[in-house]
Amino acid sequence: MESAISSILFYVFAAAAVLCAFGVVAFRNPVSSAMNMALCFGFTAAVYFGMGAQFLGIVQLIVYAGAILVLFLFIIMMLDVKAEEHVRKSFPMACIGVIIAGIFAGFVTKVAISLPGATDGPCPALVLCDTIGDLAPGAIEEKPAEETLAPYGAAMPKLNPAAAAMTLGADEATAAKATAFPDTKLMGQALFTKYNIPFVILSFALLAGTVGAVALGRKIRKD
Amino acid sequence: MTPLAHYLIFSGILFSIGLAGVIIRKNIIVVFMCLEMMLSAANISLVAFSRAQGVNGVPVYDAQVLALFIVAIAAAEVAIGLALIVAMFRARKSVESSTLNSLKD
Repeated sequence: MESAISSILFYVFAAAAVLCAFGVVAFRNPVSSAMNMALCFGFTAAVYFGMGAQFLGIVQLIVYAGAILVLFLFIIMMLDVKAEEHVRKSFPMACIGVIIAGIFAGFVTKVAISLPGATDGPCPALVLCDTIGDLAPGAIEEKPAEETLAPYGAAMPKLNPAAAAMTLGADEATAAKATAFPDTKLMGQALFTKYNIPFVILSFALLAGTVGAVALGRKIRKD
Repeated sequence: MTPLAHYLIFSGILFSIGLAGVIIRKNIIVVFMCLEMMLSAANISLVAFSRAQGVNGVPVYDAQVLALFIVAIAAAEVAIGLALIVAMFRARKSVESSTLNSLKD
């Protein structure tokens, strides 16, 4: 039941994100493109939430939809970019772009569905139909999850709060009582122990980026 | 639960729309937006793999840390890229990529 709803939400948000991505490419006005991109990032963040990656979802919203988008809008406003009025006959170019992107998407789809175990399970659409059938009173009952999943199995493993609490060092009695999945705690643990040095180096990269942006953006004096 | 393959296909479609935008569009700001979309699409597949490869219901957080690094690098890249676009606008008075043809003629 719960997993069926999360599946439906994934398909809805994925379709909306793809639609907004089309909008980014299709709209002539750069401001419309930027707004579509904001929506696309918002739906992507929703997909992250659905996967249980709450921290990355929030980061996606704050950094992409908040900071990067605002930067884009500032630049569009500052440069006063107009919509492309005089569209030259760039039809061949558009065809080439669509063909290359189509071939790429086809390859990715082919690789994804030929992963070992990717097509083992029943078709998700059928599962949804089954679940809707199961919604009859008295029939709601979680089917037992398969014990052995293929490496890239047909279904994603369920999140396990108790095991996560054990990873964080809780004793068994406390871990058994855990209900919420501590995503941000685990993320922080990975970030500040195993990946501490890359994290610090990354901050230097950000500093260098800021200095570079200021150096590139200032007026060049002619004298 | 949605299978991993569908997340990968979603990520691939988003990436190829971004690729098509980079090839088709002339406005360099929109080209840059499409580049950001491609980075974000790659992140989706990283997070999906992190979840699918998890042991005992705990995702592999290495992949999510990598996704976070990609987001941070994307932020730095946007700052520099937009500064470059402003510099280009000062020099050429345009943001069309077709005006960058000084090596051609």
